[in-house]
Amino acid sequence: MNELFPGLAQEIVSGVALGCIYALIALGFTLIFKATEVVNFAQGELMMVGAYVNFFFITIFLDSLGFGNWPSFILALIASIGFSVLFGVFLDFAINKPLKDEPVFSMIMATISVAIILRAVVALIAGPITLVPPSPFGNSVIRLGSVAISTLDLFIILSAVILVSIFYIIFNKTRWGLAMQATAEDPMAAGLMGIPVKKVYRNVWIFATIVATIGGVLLAPRTLLDTNMGFLGLKAFPAAVLGGFGSIPGAIVGGVILGVVETISMGTLSFHFHWIKEINDVIVWIVLILVLMIRPVGILGKEEVERV
Amino acid sequence: MLKLIGVETFYGKIKALHGVSLEVLEGQLVCILGANGAGKSTILKTVSGIAEAEYGSIEFDGQRIERMDADDIVRLGMSHVPENRHVFPELTVRENLQMGGFLITNGTTFSSRLEEVYSRFPVLKERDRQLAGTLSGGEQQMLAIGRALMLKPKLLLLDEPSLGLSPILVSEIFETIKDLHRSGVTILLVEQNVNQALQIADYGYVLTSGKILLSGTYEELKKEDRVKEMYLGEGKYVRRSRLWGT
Repeated sequence: MNELFPGLAQEIVSGVALGCIYALIALGFTLIFKATEVVNFAQGELMMVGAYVNFFFITIFLDSLGFGNWPSFILALIASIGFSVLFGVFLDFAINKPLKDEPVFSMIMATISVAIILRAVVALIAGPITLVPPSPFGNSVIRLGSVAISTLDLFIILSAVILVSIFYIIFNKTRWGLAMQATAEDPMAAGLMGIPVKKVYRNVWIFATIVATIGGVLLAPRTLLDTNMGFLGLKAFPAAVLGGFGSIPGAIVGGVILGVVETISMGTLSFHFHWIKEINDVIVWIVLILVLMIRPVGILGKEEVERV
Repeated sequence: MLKLIGVETFYGKIKALHGVSLEVLEGQLVCILGANGAGKSTILKTVSGIAEAEYGSIEFDGQRIERMDADDIVRLGMSHVPENRHVFPELTVRENLQMGGFLITNGTTFSSRLEEVYSRFPVLKERDRQLAGTLSGGEQQMLAIGRALMLKPKLLLLDEPSLGLSPILVSEIFETIKDLHRSGVTILLVEQNVNQALQIADYGYVLTSGKILLSGTYEELKKEDRVKEMYLGEGKYVRRSRLWGT
């Protein structure tokens, strides 16, 4: 037990950190889905683009302009968020506006196409090789007794908590946040209140892009920078479904659960039993199916009551 | 105040309005009557910008509005209470009213409007923190009207405000409408309660399959046989077998 514990504690923290990133991606497309009823299959690629853009800015600030370590990272983050605002506006203009009231299938194809195009464009510009992004924390760890926790993981968790809290306040306490909720519930009635529905949609896309970018910035130093890192977005899907699709707290809970399950299975099952080495890639889906068998609407999903 | 000329609206390929022209003067309460599917709601939706007029012109307060988005039309001082109320079910009563006053940026104006609505509908104040979806039909209707009044509209469009309500609540809603009318709000009303609606209206239009058939004051319309037969329950008795042509 004593030997097992530090390992398990480290894995849980690392799993929560990974889960926070799933949660951020899941949050992005839950938000888009709730407000505009679009399932954005490119959410993972938005994260990938964000990570690359951030890497680009870091190299500019750090290497070309010769800023210090910390100023470079902070400036790069601000610049990346600036970029994601513009990118969000562009996506709203390119996908949401022309296709909003078209059949769902057109929309799904459009977002899948965007995902593929983004992957190709980034590979074209940055090259197909895997890049190693610098981490502001290096490989430093914080020791709590016998438990060593990566500083980066702690930072990821902290950032996610702050981001989600900011989001919660915007969504529930501000005039525009309430307008977003109202638009999600009933766009026609929202328009009749004088809420500029189109602007609300645009804001939702901007917000989802920002969240994805920050997710990418946080993830990049943990993994490596790769044009295929958007596939991680596919794992944020089961996270959203697990938590209850369309539920924002559900997206966060689902993301964290999947992150923890995946990391622990990697440390225990895959480590000890070589014949199921790849189990950590599969276990997410097994958990998803098990949960949905018991609760088809997901953990925090609301049961649809059809009113007659 | 509101003037429609030759308005035609389509739902896909189906023509819902065949050149509707009507006028609402300032301070009037105008009522649109017609059977289900005649296009009454479509007129209101076209005016408020939810549905788009393919042909014709709509003038509100001296401005052409037929190409405007719904939210821009609201800014001009027109509020539309849609059929089936359409409150935001997952928001509280207060949040619904806050959304009604979305365009008000001044805090004091907002709270004074909120007080006005609460004093008109005290039940909303009692249910302040309750989710709108949990209100009864009558309360939801009051909320829908209260929400529209937050902006102090010059013109209020009411679509079937008495739909699905008990007789007591229906008269309560009609009292409210009368009261609003007296306080100077111009109202365009769509109602299935023809008798009650015509009694409080200054002017009425009768719509059949997307066309205006008749128009006039209550007294004038009352004399029309077609109105009597169709809406006022004074039609002549028709042997059922004759309807089947045997």
